[in-house]
Amino acid sequence: MTSARSQSFVLGLIGVSLFLIAWEVIGTYRLAGLTWPPLSTVLAFLTTPAKLPLFGRAAAASFTSVAIGYLCGACGGLILALASHLIAPVRPGLDRLVAVIHAIPSIALAPLLIVLASADATPPIISGLGVGYIFYVAATSGLATASATHRDLFAVLGASRFSVTLRLDLPSALPAIASAMKLSVPIAFIGAIIGEWFGASRGLGLLIVSAMQNFQIPLLWSAVLITAVASLAMFALFSLTERLVQERMR
Amino acid sequence: MTAVVSISNLLRRYWAVALIVVGWQIWVSAAGLSSIVLPGPLAVATDFAGDPLSYAGPAGLTFLVAIAGLLLGFLLGAGLAILSWSSRILNGLLTPLGLIFTSIPVVTLIPIIARLLGYDVRTVVAIVSLICFFPAFVYVGAGLRALPPGSDDLFRVFGGSQLQRFVRLVLPSAVPNLMLAFRLTAPEAVLAAVVAEFLMGTDGLGYLFRKAAGEFDTERALATSLIATITSVACFGLALAAERRVLRRWT
Amino acid sequence: MSDKPAIRIDRVSKTFRLGDGNELSALVDIDLTIAPGEFVALLGPSGCGKSTILRLVAALEGATAGRVTIEGKAPADLCQSHRLGVAFQDHALLPWLDIEANVALPFHLAGRSVDKAQVKDLISLVGLAGFEKARPKQLSGGMRQRASIARALVLEPEVLLLDEPFGALDAVTRRQMNVELQRIWSRHSITTLLVTHSVDEALFLADRVVVMSGRPGRIILDLPAPFARPRAPSVMRDPAFHDMVDRLTEALEPEGAHA
Ligand SMILES: Nc1ncnc2c1ncn2[C@@H]1O[C@H](COP(=O)(O)OP(=O)(O)O)[C@@H](O)[C@H]1O
Ligand SMILES: [Mg+2]
Repeated sequence: MTSARSQSFVLGLIGVSLFLIAWEVIGTYRLAGLTWPPLSTVLAFLTTPAKLPLFGRAAAASFTSVAIGYLCGACGGLILALASHLIAPVRPGLDRLVAVIHAIPSIALAPLLIVLASADATPPIISGLGVGYIFYVAATSGLATASATHRDLFAVLGASRFSVTLRLDLPSALPAIASAMKLSVPIAFIGAIIGEWFGASRGLGLLIVSAMQNFQIPLLWSAVLITAVASLAMFALFSLTERLVQERMR
Repeated sequence: MTAVVSISNLLRRYWAVALIVVGWQIWVSAAGLSSIVLPGPLAVATDFAGDPLSYAGPAGLTFLVAIAGLLLGFLLGAGLAILSWSSRILNGLLTPLGLIFTSIPVVTLIPIIARLLGYDVRTVVAIVSLICFFPAFVYVGAGLRALPPGSDDLFRVFGGSQLQRFVRLVLPSAVPNLMLAFRLTAPEAVLAAVVAEFLMGTDGLGYLFRKAAGEFDTERALATSLIATITSVACFGLALAAERRVLRRWT
Repeated sequence: MSDKPAIRIDRVSKTFRLGDGNELSALVDIDLTIAPGEFVALLGPSGCGKSTILRLVAALEGATAGRVTIEGKAPADLCQSHRLGVAFQDHALLPWLDIEANVALPFHLAGRSVDKAQVKDLISLVGLAGFEKARPKQLSGGMRQRASIARALVLEPEVLLLDEPFGALDAVTRRQMNVELQRIWSRHSITTLLVTHSVDEALFLADRVVVMSGRPGRIILDLPAPFARPRAPSVMRDPAFHDMVDRLTEALEPEGAHA
């Protein structure tokens, strides 16, 4: 059991290392042309002291958008889900609204938002809409997972609607909400980056498009790498939270 | 009578959407915004109704590109999932990579792919298939391991060979997950295609949108996003119908 | 029929290694011989290792000590030559196949062409005629169990293993299924090992009833069920049947309970 686990850990480590080595080799021998730099070049570029303020400012702007979008999206999604759980008649309408908003391509939302809010408010809003969707869907289905037996028990004990929600439905929804916390991490980043592709004045997304248009290859890869690593770290953190919640709720 | 019922049904489902559209119209009219800044829904609808066919070409192209990318991505993702199912070592090597790529914003790779492959329709297909590849790999991989209870023992007792087990048990078991991944990814495929077209300026809805926005033709830009939304919803609807159909036969 | 045993369980013990590193002794020194064509029922409290014995005979587990043989050979040989039939408590029908295809599955696994007449016969033998094209989810629990028994019999196996095949059914359906199973079995007289925890079921169906004690599992009683075949449900009202039910029930009670 434990030996199987350590074996798969070692294999996974080898897999990731092979990926990084392949990245390096393809770049070094120009197997994919000039636009694929070796990993070492990207890392060297990334750690050049002169570039640090550039990346620092861009990352700070983007991560702020991600954080605001994530928090507002999570709260908004949860509040809407609670509303549709408690007030049954509004549920179908909210479901459709959320689905329609989700189906609008973010590039189409962006110009609307730029008019309605501002260019710099657009990244957190798109990010929040994506996150809110995940939380709404997960929480509405999570709030409905309590078993019929438990519901009957609460009914027999004369529990009010409020205490059923608080003591039964919400705890039963926790695992689904914890999954949503994890799954919405990359969505939050995508929203912020796409939002920045439409004329934000700073951020990693802006860096990525301008580097693409101006053939600044190491800059392009560096900005993407920062975004990916940040998303990965946050995802890992929330995976841990999800694991803890699931252990606790078993 | 039935008309009343269906209208009340429609209202029950779409009151919130209707509220937003009506609110938008009232706000635009009341604030007297110029149509360059923000046209109301009526103006957008009028613009679309004036020349609906001019949207058909780009919409068709985006739809086809999205479908092509989706199928290619699924073929590769499912293929790799099967390969990694068949070899414990390969599975061990690939599982964490699959996890890593599902936890990062793959959309940010679009500019990298665009630079690597050049600005071209084929690049859009490649981008869409990259976006679809990871969900297909992860979901099909999980499906290949979710066998019906007791079925594995059954095949052993009846002396089925490894090949029979794979063809008659493992592959069919993965079908529900495959369809689930298909439904979840289909609308994303359209959105990815639109974003790629927008960034690279290759033909399709994304380019139409970019051109309209560049010429401050806001009505046209919004009508284009409406079409993109409808295309994405249509893709979702098709995938959902396919999933329901398959599941009816499969479970 | 030769007098060579069909199934020989020779002083078998089974220990499971658990995830936390501990060991669980499920079976200790089990010795059981089943003659060709004999129907043996295995009774015991839940968790005493009945399924484990059946899984050892089906080559789904390996013994920790001792040896299981079927006709003198390893059970896996019988699986490889497709001469074993099995039905579990969970019907294990494949959801994407209809009833006909589920029953025909063993033919495919044996690499033989499907004997359509045989499939049809068995489906009607278990009372599912007309449901050939139905999917498992469209059938009731009892019907699914019958389909899985038809599947177990379709290759005319030499050994039939049944692990609480009626465990999930209500009492009335269960009795009906018992009557049907005995009718089917008397046509084929296959060497059969039935795991159950119903005393009535064991006595009604089997030639011999073997009782096991709780963990670790041991055999504590081995009684013949001397009722003439074919048995009608009325045999359950026979005083001799009642006596045996009492004896077996007493043996099943945990030690000290009948002091
Ligand atoms: N694969 C396994 N791993 C660990 N313990 C097992 C396993 N299979 C069975 N056991 C244990 O062995 C004992 C006997 O199980 P089983 O044969 O299923 O009992 P029965 O069928 O009589 O109810 C039980 O305590 C069970 O928990
Ligand atoms: Mg059992």
